[in-house]
Amino acid sequence: MKKVHILGIILIAVAIGAIFTTLNNTSTYADFTEAAKNPGSEFHVVGKLNKEKEAVYEPKVDANLFTFYMIDNKGVESKVILHKNKPQDFKSSEQIVLIGQMQGQEFHASDILMKCPSKYNDGKPEETASK
Amino acid sequence: MEYIGEHLGIGKVGNVFVILSFVLALLASISYFFAAKDNDDSASWKRIGRIAFRLHGLSVMGIVSTLFIMLMNHYFEYEYVWHHSNKEMPMRYILSCFWEGQEGSFLLWTFWHVVLGLMLQRTAIKWEAPVMAVISLVQVFLASMLLGITIADYHLGSNPFTVLLRDHPDFANIPLFSSPNYIDKIDGRGLNPLLQNYWMTIHPPTLFLGFALTVVPFAYAIAGLWKKNFTEWLKPALPWTYAGVTVLGVGILMGGAWAYEALSFGGFWAWDPVENASLVPWLTLVGAAHLMLINRNKGQSLFTAFFLAILTFILILYSTYLTRSGILGETSVHSFPTAGMAGQLLVYLFCFLIIGILLLVINWKHFPKQDTEEGLWSREFWMFVGAIVLLVSSFQIIFYTSMPVWNKIFGMNKAPLKEVVTFYNNWQLPFAFVVTLLIAVGQYFKYKNTDIKFFLKNISLSFFLSLGLTIIMIFLLNYKNRYYSILLFSSIFAAVANADYMFRVLRGKIKKAGASIAHIGFALVLLGALISTSKKDVISQNTSGKSVESLGKSFSNNDNILLTQGDTLKMGKYLVTYKGKRQEGINIYFDVDYFSKDETGKLVKEFSLAPLVQTNPRMGNVAEPDTRHFLTYDVYTHVTFADLETLLEKKQQTSDEYAPAKNFTLKKGDSIFSSNAIIIFDSLSVNIDKRKYHLSENDIAVEANFQVLDISKKYEANPVYVIRNNSIQPIESRVDQLGLKFMFWQINPEDGKIQISLQEKKSNVRDFIVMQAMVFPYINILWIGCIIMAIGTILAILERIRRSS
Repeated sequence: MKKVHILGIILIAVAIGAIFTTLNNTSTYADFTEAAKNPGSEFHVVGKLNKEKEAVYEPKVDANLFTFYMIDNKGVESKVILHKNKPQDFKSSEQIVLIGQMQGQEFHASDILMKCPSKYNDGKPEETASK
Repeated sequence: MEYIGEHLGIGKVGNVFVILSFVLALLASISYFFAAKDNDDSASWKRIGRIAFRLHGLSVMGIVSTLFIMLMNHYFEYEYVWHHSNKEMPMRYILSCFWEGQEGSFLLWTFWHVVLGLMLQRTAIKWEAPVMAVISLVQVFLASMLLGITIADYHLGSNPFTVLLRDHPDFANIPLFSSPNYIDKIDGRGLNPLLQNYWMTIHPPTLFLGFALTVVPFAYAIAGLWKKNFTEWLKPALPWTYAGVTVLGVGILMGGAWAYEALSFGGFWAWDPVENASLVPWLTLVGAAHLMLINRNKGQSLFTAFFLAILTFILILYSTYLTRSGILGETSVHSFPTAGMAGQLLVYLFCFLIIGILLLVINWKHFPKQDTEEGLWSREFWMFVGAIVLLVSSFQIIFYTSMPVWNKIFGMNKAPLKEVVTFYNNWQLPFAFVVTLLIAVGQYFKYKNTDIKFFLKNISLSFFLSLGLTIIMIFLLNYKNRYYSILLFSSIFAAVANADYMFRVLRGKIKKAGASIAHIGFALVLLGALISTSKKDVISQNTSGKSVESLGKSFSNNDNILLTQGDTLKMGKYLVTYKGKRQEGINIYFDVDYFSKDETGKLVKEFSLAPLVQTNPRMGNVAEPDTRHFLTYDVYTHVTFADLETLLEKKQQTSDEYAPAKNFTLKKGDSIFSSNAIIIFDSLSVNIDKRKYHLSENDIAVEANFQVLDISKKYEANPVYVIRNNSIQPIESRVDQLGLKFMFWQINPEDGKIQISLQEKKSNVRDFIVMQAMVFPYINILWIGCIIMAIGTILAILERIRRSS
């Protein structure tokens, strides 16, 4: 067997390893109901902020704790405890992706991704204050 | 309706250029195609091709200038200008506006291809026709991206010269446009605040030049296969390939510098899909460059050289697809929004992929057979191994980055990893180790065969020197992780061995040392990345008002520190004070002073940092970090939360007013926080002196006792709950020194919980910020490495050019 062949075999082995670890390590997108069925496992939950309910951030008590209510894409609401600072533009977020797990009645998120509507989508032109 | 003051003429001129650039590119590619076939007319076809490509170049310049004129004159009637700029924006960001959008960045890419094409027309000589045929074909596709015409319901390309009111019917309904002279009132949306940074004026053109340069080895490789001239293309293609390695490499690191300076994810590299999409072709390009070099010298690994040169360009097209088709969606912060070009981009990608594969397959049996195997102790064998490692490394990156693509193809629903950085780091660490090791020993191997005794003798000095240096570094940095220590060694070894080679073997002849210098640079980049990331120290970890309740341990994230105006807190080796905020234009700066203690315990100011938040009501506020650079480390800070609203109304607050009350339900022993104190509910007492409160004997009265602790003193507060004539008439209790007022509203006899309200004087409410701070040690090694790498590759290119002429 040529050296090149041995190298080829190693190459393919590593590549297959890369494929499998990638597929096995990833969590899946889910909703609150599914997350509640599997407490302790990590999910990505996509949803919207419930703007009616209170969002509490008391940096003086704990700068790394923020609670709010989110409605997932299926319409299920859950209290969310985010173990991070309140994102600066939280109110204007259109869509939220939470990364975390269900514990009891609360979803404990370790990270949050937000999509703000105005960032890229077309807004409408505004009049300038030309006085 | 007739609108007054619109500049519609210039858009028409622009569109003429757009169409011309497409048609001329098509003409150039067809002419060059026939010129490349050896027949009697080839000379005249070539002449037509040349002229057509030059005119195509002129048209592209025409599009670029038109768009610039429109941006500079604020012609907001044009969608692109309206979308990407506004009147307030400083002129120096006009370049960033130019390439912020899809169309502008395609234009930038096209522009570089024109520049390269014009250079190749002069230098490629006998390769001109086939190489330019390929490049012109690439230009046909790129030019079509700007066409913006609709053929049988299919929208081809996205035109930069569309007019808001004509081509975007949605806008016509807006009241503003009912006025004939709307031009006077309209302003643009403005540039994304993240891009208002000087790096954004130099990073995109550099990166796109890097992208563009990969077309040259691709075009030469295709030409070589097409003309069945399998080896002669290597010589003219090599300098271009190394130029690609330099420019793309520098471009990627500039992106890192931008992220480090302007984004607040805390680092220079986040393994973001967009970053990966440009790193992967760089890795394969480096592999291709080295294999081409082996081939020039020894005629080995020819197929792999072809394969990598073609693959690199295909990967560039693939990354364009990833970042511009919208498929990345939520997985990346800086991907482009969809512009309906996904289909077109795929056609583009598959067209060149099929051309590449077909030519490789057809020529498979014509490739010169290797009669001998590479020797185990030959340089060419280990360079080949290195190229293969780079290929596997890039495969791992691109496979994971393509997750949204796999989701789509296979109907899966996989989410991105949470610890994505660790995932990539763990995978890439062994590859980096092998590559640096090969870089260290590579030049000490000779082509064909190496005398192993001679090799060991030559390398031993560097080996032991690096080992010593590594041990010192491990001790200095207090390195615990053994895998990091191994990479630390191999990177140092790579730098030292190449430096040794340069001075001892090449005797310091700079002209010939290009490769060694570039390798030293690359090793330093890795070394800097390794140390600064692995020893990154989040110094903002100890928060001042840490919650009393213990949180779920697995979530404990206390990277944020709360700084109240005027207080001094310990943070890492510094004492920090938040002095206050100030507004300059759209930026709000938060001034933070850093002190250290001298021998007498006195505070000495070391430096100030002012991380900022850029306010942008339309696109969202953006935090921008501020970093203090030292020779051996950086202190990097950014604001994660700040109350921006109070800033604007703060002045009106009178000091004696109370802020609205806050209500609390407490049981004994509970504590709450005011802005200046901790308040602990101590006890309830029934035996109180009713006369003191002017109460009669029939009144029911209960007193609550609170301990109020500020930083230095202890106070008491005793609000009283009173039922008099069947109504609740509580008696307030004030702590005037702290500006606090307590009211006692209710007792629950069952569980002993009480309800109180607390009011604070508005003057109490001091401003605060929540901030993150981290120290990146030795990050300068990375930037220095980048510069050295660039110098090295440039020297190598100059040497190649000199030798070939």
